Amino acid sequence: MICRAAPLAALRSLTGWIPPVTAVPVPLFPTPAEPVAAVLELRNIAKSFAATAALKDMNLAIAPGEVHAIVGENGAGKSTLIKIMTGVYQPDAGSILVKGASVSVRSTQDAQTLGIAAIYQEPMVFPDLDVAENIFISNRAQGAFMNWKQMYAAATKLIEQLGVTVDVHRAASGLTLAEQQTVEIARALSLDVKVLIMDEPTASLSAHEVARLLGIVRTLKAKGVAVIYISHRLDEIFEVADRVTVIRDGQHISTRPIAEVTPDGMVKDMVGRAVDIHAVKTAANLHGASVLRLENLGREGVFRGISFDLAMGEVLCLAGLVGARRTDVGLALFGIAPATEGRILIDGAEVILRSPAAAMAKSIAYVSEDRRKMGLAMALPIFANVSLASLGKLLGAFGIINRTAEMAMAEKYRKQLAIKSVSVRVEVGKLSGGNQQKVMLAKWLETKPRILIFDEPTRGVDVGAKAEVHNIIRALAKEGVAVLVISSDLPEVLALADRILVMREGKQAGIMDISQATQENVIRLAAGTDVRGAA
Amino acid sequence: MRIHPQTLRLIALGLALLATVLFFSTQIDSYLSPRMFTRITTSAAVILPVAVGQALVVMTRNIDLSIGSTVGVVAYLTGQFLGLHGDLNPVLVAGLAMGIGGAMGAVNGVLVAWGRVPSIIVTLGTLALFRSFLVQYSDAKTITTASLPQWLVDLPQANAFSIFGLDVRVTVVLAMCSAIAMGLALTRLRAARRFYAVGSNPDAAVMAGINSAKVVFVAFVLSGVLAGLAGFLFLAKFGNITVVAGLGFELKAVAAVVVGGVSIIGGSGSMIGVVIGTVLVDTIDNSLTRWELVSEFWRDALLGMLIMAAVTVDTVMSRQLGRIGLKTGPLKAGPL
Repeated sequence: MICRAAPLAALRSLTGWIPPVTAVPVPLFPTPAEPVAAVLELRNIAKSFAATAALKDMNLAIAPGEVHAIVGENGAGKSTLIKIMTGVYQPDAGSILVKGASVSVRSTQDAQTLGIAAIYQEPMVFPDLDVAENIFISNRAQGAFMNWKQMYAAATKLIEQLGVTVDVHRAASGLTLAEQQTVEIARALSLDVKVLIMDEPTASLSAHEVARLLGIVRTLKAKGVAVIYISHRLDEIFEVADRVTVIRDGQHISTRPIAEVTPDGMVKDMVGRAVDIHAVKTAANLHGASVLRLENLGREGVFRGISFDLAMGEVLCLAGLVGARRTDVGLALFGIAPATEGRILIDGAEVILRSPAAAMAKSIAYVSEDRRKMGLAMALPIFANVSLASLGKLLGAFGIINRTAEMAMAEKYRKQLAIKSVSVRVEVGKLSGGNQQKVMLAKWLETKPRILIFDEPTRGVDVGAKAEVHNIIRALAKEGVAVLVISSDLPEVLALADRILVMREGKQAGIMDISQATQENVIRLAAGTDVRGAA
Repeated sequence: MRIHPQTLRLIALGLALLATVLFFSTQIDSYLSPRMFTRITTSAAVILPVAVGQALVVMTRNIDLSIGSTVGVVAYLTGQFLGLHGDLNPVLVAGLAMGIGGAMGAVNGVLVAWGRVPSIIVTLGTLALFRSFLVQYSDAKTITTASLPQWLVDLPQANAFSIFGLDVRVTVVLAMCSAIAMGLALTRLRAARRFYAVGSNPDAAVMAGINSAKVVFVAFVLSGVLAGLAGFLFLAKFGNITVVAGLGFELKAVAAVVVGGVSIIGGSGSMIGVVIGTVLVDTIDNSLTRWELVSEFWRDALLGMLIMAAVTVDTVMSRQLGRIGLKTGPLKAGPL
């Protein structure tokens, strides 16, 4: 499929490049931001969990038909805010107003009746049901009996209104993440939603899909639906938002029309201090001997022809568009989805890696992108997660785990990596995304790896923590660890890498030294000179 | 045209049933006879309502292990009641049996839906509890045919209609009615679609504003009601009710449901599958008792193997589908 918009979108996603606002003129609300009749308003909302205050005195007013971005670091209280608006949590204090009238939102049903719905990074669909049923499953206006024909027709119409094509007869399990999101948006539309909350909707989408989603956001806006748009990707916010609210430590910091906002100003509001978001490249490390060598590595039907040398103390980044199969190279190296062709050599000797255990035995560690599924036991405390991959060295007499040593081990990393939590006994599920990332890193650092693979190390992590993670990665390389970073974030790649390997459609498109790398030539390799669809 | 995996599964199931019948016809004398047809259908009729109820519960990602005891208790209590009030209207008797079953199902439902106790624990507990209650309550006395009204004793022999020289009994029609009614409800009734939704993705159900607890509760109550119907049919079929009535029904019901293609992790399944699954399980069960080569004590072992085989086939099949991209892979969402 040839798509003309794709290269632009790809460029945008990879570079963080902000296109000039051209489309709809930004409606200016009277400042200070207090629109006449807010469709949804939160007044002095407070919410605490045990001793921690997630929200303190939060105020927010959403105007009808506006795209209102909410930004804040991880742990700023965005998730709690969403859950209060959708009735999952009840506020401890404060009031919620819909069109000026005070309401109580005690459940998601209540929220639905009031016209408030939310979609999440992980779409909430029913995999076994088809698209049309997914849309209308909780629609009370549909009558007691199923009228399949009419339902399919109505679903098709709703999907078309969003300007996309999805077969309404297909089971949701076969849809891509982006299509599942579309189904969720259609569901919200069918319920006559007034306020649609989108929580990190683009975190797992390809550039092409992001462009399409932003198109849908504009369609919703044109229909008079207010969209609350939550994202870490500042470029998207500048592209679609009318107003931006910054929250920090559970408090409202600022709400401004987008025209009055600069990226630097926004980040300053978010972290409460000035942060250099354009990471400064440190001098290249001195590299030792080659540790890892790949010769024409491939996995049938997934990727092939990957060859490189990775030296001690070197950082090699795998760059490319979503769908370039970079993660699969990482999975092959860690033995999760083993390679089927080519060779892997460690210290010059060929190794066969068919399981994570085999890879760990060769001092390889893999810090995965999906913390929930592949990285952490969310219900266990920090210390148990940190020690999980290296329990062997904690065994005392009769093979019993030495709890004191285990706690000390975790405590060391809590200080070293600045994991924000009261103690190492806190459940990992209760930490913010950035801190979870650090716990996972601690787990693998304790295995004293010689080869460390990071898959999207800063996805879903806020700007402040991002810089910290980058510093940790550089420091590890300096200590002699061979580091492989898989990243979709081009500024990150350029800030971290000593060398960059660009992949395109499962193949090695090129490898270059950081001294030759520019945003342009990486993108050109990643997208291909024939400029085809982004994914 | 793309054949839906579920349709493919039903065809495979039908073929398995055919192969089973053909196999036993070579092993057992006068197997393909009207008598054997009646024998298998009347025996399956007692299991079918239980399997239909079980299917509903399994669809919501739960399991009801208590139904064997429910069938026993209902059969005993109804029989005892008839011994005292033999003149009660037959429809009311069936209603009474289903009411007792429904009340027992409600106990499970409350504990699972609102008590948030895993269904396997709750129903394992009530499986033992209901049975112990029966032992205690009956005081080792048996309900005998002599104490039952004549219409009930005659019911199993009553013919609804004959087709191609095969007799279809009233009890078989009753059981089929429960499956057909449930099948129609599941495809036509909007409220019934929620059983699929809750089992398919419980989190999404909550987010979509569905009261999952209520849906799960209703599934358990209906499972109890249908076990009550089975208890009534059991009483009619056997007449003599001891404390072991309905023992082991849960294994047969789970086997019928799983073999019939209801996903053990919830969200999918059809009543046609459950009917064929029940007939297949019962055909094997009944035929083994007559097959001289194999001891009938192997029947339970074979049922167990059948359950495992069905689930294995399902798992392998969905993994294959995942590989060709019909479902999202287990590790991460697709590359797009």
